[in-house]
Amino acid sequence: MTLRTQSLLVRDDRTRRRNAAERRFRTYGRCAVGIVALALTVLLVTVVTNGASAFRQTFITLNIPLPEAKLDKTGTRNPAVMAKVTTLGYAPVLRDALVQQLADLGIKTALSDKETGKMISKEAVATVRDQVLANPDLVGTILTIDLLVEGRIDGYFKGRVTMESAALDGNTSPDALQIAQSLADLGVIKTRFNWRFLTAPDASDQRPEAAGLGVAILGSLYMMTVVLVLALPIGVAASIYLEEFTPKNRLSDLIEVNISNLAAVPSIVFGILGLAIFINFAGFKQSSPLVGGLVLTLMTLPTIIISTRAALKAVPMSIRDAALGVGASKMQSVFHHVLPLAAPGILTGTIIGLAQALGETAPLLLIGMVAFVREYPAVYNDTAGLFGEAATALPVQVFNWTQRADPGFAERASGAIITLLVFLAIMNIAAVLLRRRFERRW
Amino acid sequence: MTHPKISAQNVDVRYGDTVAIKDVSVDIAPNTVTAFIGPSGCGKSTFLRCLNRMNDTIDICQVTGDIRIDGEDIFDRNVDPVQLRAKVGMVFQKPNPFPKSIFDNVAYGPKIHGLARNKVDMAKIVENALRKAALWSEVKDRLHSPGTGLSGGQQQRLCIARAIATAPEVLLMDEPCSALDPIATGQIEELINDLRQNFCVVIVTHSMQQAARISQKTAFFHLGSLVEYGDTDQIFTMPNDPRTESYITGRIG
Repeated sequence: MTLRTQSLLVRDDRTRRRNAAERRFRTYGRCAVGIVALALTVLLVTVVTNGASAFRQTFITLNIPLPEAKLDKTGTRNPAVMAKVTTLGYAPVLRDALVQQLADLGIKTALSDKETGKMISKEAVATVRDQVLANPDLVGTILTIDLLVEGRIDGYFKGRVTMESAALDGNTSPDALQIAQSLADLGVIKTRFNWRFLTAPDASDQRPEAAGLGVAILGSLYMMTVVLVLALPIGVAASIYLEEFTPKNRLSDLIEVNISNLAAVPSIVFGILGLAIFINFAGFKQSSPLVGGLVLTLMTLPTIIISTRAALKAVPMSIRDAALGVGASKMQSVFHHVLPLAAPGILTGTIIGLAQALGETAPLLLIGMVAFVREYPAVYNDTAGLFGEAATALPVQVFNWTQRADPGFAERASGAIITLLVFLAIMNIAAVLLRRRFERRW
Repeated sequence: MTHPKISAQNVDVRYGDTVAIKDVSVDIAPNTVTAFIGPSGCGKSTFLRCLNRMNDTIDICQVTGDIRIDGEDIFDRNVDPVQLRAKVGMVFQKPNPFPKSIFDNVAYGPKIHGLARNKVDMAKIVENALRKAALWSEVKDRLHSPGTGLSGGQQQRLCIARAIATAPEVLLMDEPCSALDPIATGQIEELINDLRQNFCVVIVTHSMQQAARISQKTAFFHLGSLVEYGDTDQIFTMPNDPRTESYITGRIG
């Protein structure tokens, strides 16, 4: 072989080709990252533009005279008796109050009184009735209160409804929007931040403006509690046993493979399993966070076991040797030395598993958590037991709202997605922070 | 020769189908330093790990034969390896302090064996162990800083302190100086020489000079068998076996 001496200042062919290949690869990489970033941006922008408005709501400040003749005929101010007047009895009171207020403000309208009354949300009647029943002495006075306006008027102030679309809409009219605009100019109608979106329960198809995530958030919270309480100890105990104590043989290999397979089982299968075992066989209440939590526990266990085993594997053998070498028992070496070192990994795995469970929809549909629930579920009650009262969950609420006809619910669904994403982000940040905190020990 | 501290007869070790050690018989005397030398993979570490049953932790490892410490069979069904390891301490090739403070590293063994009655007692045990390991003067002002923050040589001496804190009778050392520089090695060798007063030390080493410097007895392993065992002086000056001679003169290994 001859030694060719070539100037370092001239690149030979091979070098040029290699450099070109590297440049191409870098370009592919940048493209890939760009596509991911673009997809994420489009997703976030769409969700936020559609959903941010769900956190704001339009209210009308009404002065409502509460006539005794209609609301408390007996004059006893006894809530039990007054409860005989249903929301139907309150509707004319609110309608009359609005018509009167329009007249007082000098706003002329071509709408009939009935159509004017429709501008107030159907939810408002119940709000006023609840107020009156809670405080009977209000009867005979004038109640000044902020009430929800009807969904399309609300949509108008958020830009979802225009004069043109209102003209084609049987549920509202340009005239109504005109009145609403005049009221807004006078400061009677205002759009402001809406806590009720996060606290109120779901509402019926006619009243998207009143629908909230309260029950869904509670349901999700209860389920996460069940998952955390069951899946973390069971998962960690199983992984420690499998990783540190079982001998490596056919049986342990079989178990390992099956746990990995379990992690890949479609979530809806867990739903069927939950339906068959927890509801039909064990007799737990359907739609209850307990059953939801149990199903999600089954689903989360493989995730926790796999990540915990990985975390345990990552602890160097030398630490186990050191502990055994000074005469620690197997269990002492695991609990005193291996587990603390694996803790950050275990925590991260657990939180990722929880986040997965929080976003899971399909199995919950099968166990009836898709029901329409207006009542806040209690943690415990005597007949239903712990976490036994019907509830929904955040992702199911999203699914539910996207199925409804009223466009107001599309906005709500996007708002719910934002809420869900915020919760997921919080959990992931918690995972990162916990990890840092535990790793910083040394 | 006095009564042997450790007596191994016809020890075989198998990893699955591979034979790692065959038919090794050694008597190790008390208060001596015994060095195991031989090329890599010859089974000297494996044999060392038999002496405190560390091989139990490896599933596929099978040990047969007879090993007695003070005349007691360590493979007897009534022997708990935990008690055995308290009696036979071990220092590993790579310094492996726990990711805890220097104090906690040394105190861990005495704590789990219940050797200290109270905090003052424990502090004394820790100080003693660190003094014996020639580390006390360097760390006495930072006992509560992490053990992993020490230099390599200090970490290894910390591991030695940790091993002697449980007051073992035998100290096994698996190439304790292989990761250290000559100065740290010198300190550890001096230390081993001092430790001989109280312990029976068995050391695996790749350095023949080291074996010659610190040991009274030397065993030469080759391909899983014990080739020659005798006084260090004799092994290094007039070995009986041609393989030993080739190894110590650098022709094989």
